[in-house]
Amino acid sequence: MTTDNVLISVKDLKKKFDGMENHALNGVSIDIHHGEVVFVVGPSGSGKSTFLRCLNLLEEPTGGTILFEGVDITDPKTDINIHRRKMGMVFQQFNLFPHMNIMKNLTIAPMKLLGKSKDEAEKTAMELLERVGLANRADAYPNQLSGGQKQRIAIVRALCMKPDVMLFDEPTSALDPEMVGEVLNVMRELAEENMTMVVVTHEMAFAKEVASRVIFMDNGSIVEENSPEEFFSNPKSERLKSFLSKVI
Amino acid sequence: MTEWFSEFADRFYRNFIKEDRWQYITDGLLVTIQITVFAVILGVVIGFLVAIIRSTHDKTGKLKIANVICRLYLTVIRGTPVVVQLLIIYYGIFASVTIDKMIVAVIAFGINSGAYVAEIVRSGIMSIDKGQFEAGRSLGFNYAQTMIYIIIPQAFKNVLPALGNELIVLLKETSVSGYIAMEDLTKGGDIIRSRTYDAMMPLLAVAAIYLTVVIILEFLVGKLERRLRNSDH
Repeated sequence: MTTDNVLISVKDLKKKFDGMENHALNGVSIDIHHGEVVFVVGPSGSGKSTFLRCLNLLEEPTGGTILFEGVDITDPKTDINIHRRKMGMVFQQFNLFPHMNIMKNLTIAPMKLLGKSKDEAEKTAMELLERVGLANRADAYPNQLSGGQKQRIAIVRALCMKPDVMLFDEPTSALDPEMVGEVLNVMRELAEENMTMVVVTHEMAFAKEVASRVIFMDNGSIVEENSPEEFFSNPKSERLKSFLSKVI
Repeated sequence: MTEWFSEFADRFYRNFIKEDRWQYITDGLLVTIQITVFAVILGVVIGFLVAIIRSTHDKTGKLKIANVICRLYLTVIRGTPVVVQLLIIYYGIFASVTIDKMIVAVIAFGINSGAYVAEIVRSGIMSIDKGQFEAGRSLGFNYAQTMIYIIIPQAFKNVLPALGNELIVLLKETSVSGYIAMEDLTKGGDIIRSRTYDAMMPLLAVAAIYLTVVIILEFLVGKLERRLRNSDH
């Protein structure tokens, strides 16, 4: 791939939490290209979630740089709020806004931040709701939805901003097993439409199926990265071998 | 029985009808309500401002100096009696200027109530899950927008019962306005007592009116609470 195809370029990213002895991220470098679906896996505490949350500066890195669409977003002079509009994020705990109905959840950001009219924002929201099969729940409140429905809505909420990349932080970890499939289906569709995605997950089978590249993190560093076929069938490092033997 | 009734009627006449003494009660109630309403508005404005400064400091570490000022305000106001504050503001701070006593009372009770409102609202803000804040920021809302659209509406709903309670406390606290010679409801009853040398009847009337107003307030707050709760249901 050519370098002008790079969407996110991470260089020597470091993160150390106050009061912690070790770095949560210990110099992570990676280029994420347009249309790529990058899965990040690893044991808990490996720094994979911290890495993802650094990409839109929900965690402030303590070192290194992140270029997003050519702009250094770790530069304090950069207005991160502008760039976050282009980076959708989906959380483990959904984090829908409980005091707003679904339609309001989906339209508030496009209306307040992108200056969309109510009609415009609702039209976009409705189209996306139909695609995830939840058009009939537009007037419901988050508390009235199941976990799987909430997460599908959370994905739609991020998509309503027409992002250039979607960040998924363990999107199925808080779900009952029978609801995992409906969320993965939505993500699969996104991947097929060439949405750039960075996914932190424990769903190895799903990673194998959907990923264009899989990254293994341990102790705050990228230990190994490869195409999904190679990654799962032919792991090189001992740590990945031992990890895969435990989770598969 | 008739004897008791005629004596009661006589006392009632002396305390409330003669020389239109009931007006001490009604005029006093108006003063009490005016002080309470304006003080509540001032208190809520101060309270939200202080709460936002304090929780912004707690969350981001910014606004250090403003936070110190807020903490000083909270400590002093919550650590001294409201009567003393009222007297200091009236006889001390506004000693050399002619100023409507109503304004003095509103300022004193507003500043006092603001301290309590601030801590109530702050606890509400801090009770909102961190994920709500992150969801707002991840969409591109800045700190202030996230507060306004996402955090404060939820926090407000959570602390509404406590704010309603603070309103009731404030209403009753204004009964010390007589210290700066304001003729509020309590003072009105007391004036009647001094004219008729009958303590029970005017003061029981005053107590009954406070109670009625409080019950009405409780009803209204409860109604608002139910409405907000239904909306997120």
